[in-house]
Amino acid sequence: MKNRLRVLRAERAWSQGELAQRLEVSRQSVNAIETGKYDPSLSLAFRLGRLFGMRIEEIFEDEEGTGTEVRVPVGAFRHD
Amino acid sequence: MWCSSNPAQKRYVTRMVWAAVFCVIFAAAAAIGIRHSHVSGVTSYFLAVLPALPVAWSLVVTGAYLSEEKDEFQRNLYIQALLCGIAVTLAVATGWGNMEDFGRAPHLDLIWVCPMFWIFTVVSYPLVMRRYRS
Repeated sequence: MKNRLRVLRAERAWSQGELAQRLEVSRQSVNAIETGKYDPSLSLAFRLGRLFGMRIEEIFEDEEGTGTEVRVPVGAFRHD
Repeated sequence: MWCSSNPAQKRYVTRMVWAAVFCVIFAAAAAIGIRHSHVSGVTSYFLAVLPALPVAWSLVVTGAYLSEEKDEFQRNLYIQALLCGIAVTLAVATGWGNMEDFGRAPHLDLIWVCPMFWIFTVVSYPLVMRRYRS
């Protein structure tokens, strides 16, 4: 899964170690998430969201989508 | 993991070292008791089973580590290393058993299965970790 972690971290001038410390995880974890080699659990994704003051979908990007909200067209579901 | 500052990993390594120490002490006690003191009957069975207790304890300790580890990535790495250790041990034990049965391979005592598992697990850990390096 793609993400904007490296950019968000760079904006705050945090090293991987600093971010890891704030998240209470190892530096290897931050590196693996940043490089898209490891997808964090929902709880870790929420922690990241809280730390950066953003929503999860603003940090992570689905392979198929753009990371923005999924909008369902009006009338997509019928209630018969 | 072996020189980590992570408290869960530190506890795990300490507990595993104690399990290994007790395993060696109990194995030595069993060997001396059975081979040199000519212990027999129920006592010999008890002495023979004694070294297996720290082995069972090491698995309990591993379970405790997996539940205490707060870093989900590290937990994931170790689970993968354990699975690699299990897979290679089972493959080697099965292959060797067949070679003993159908070939002329020398007999391998079952007591080597446990050290084999831990050696394969420890060797697997850095290999698993390499997959996640950038």
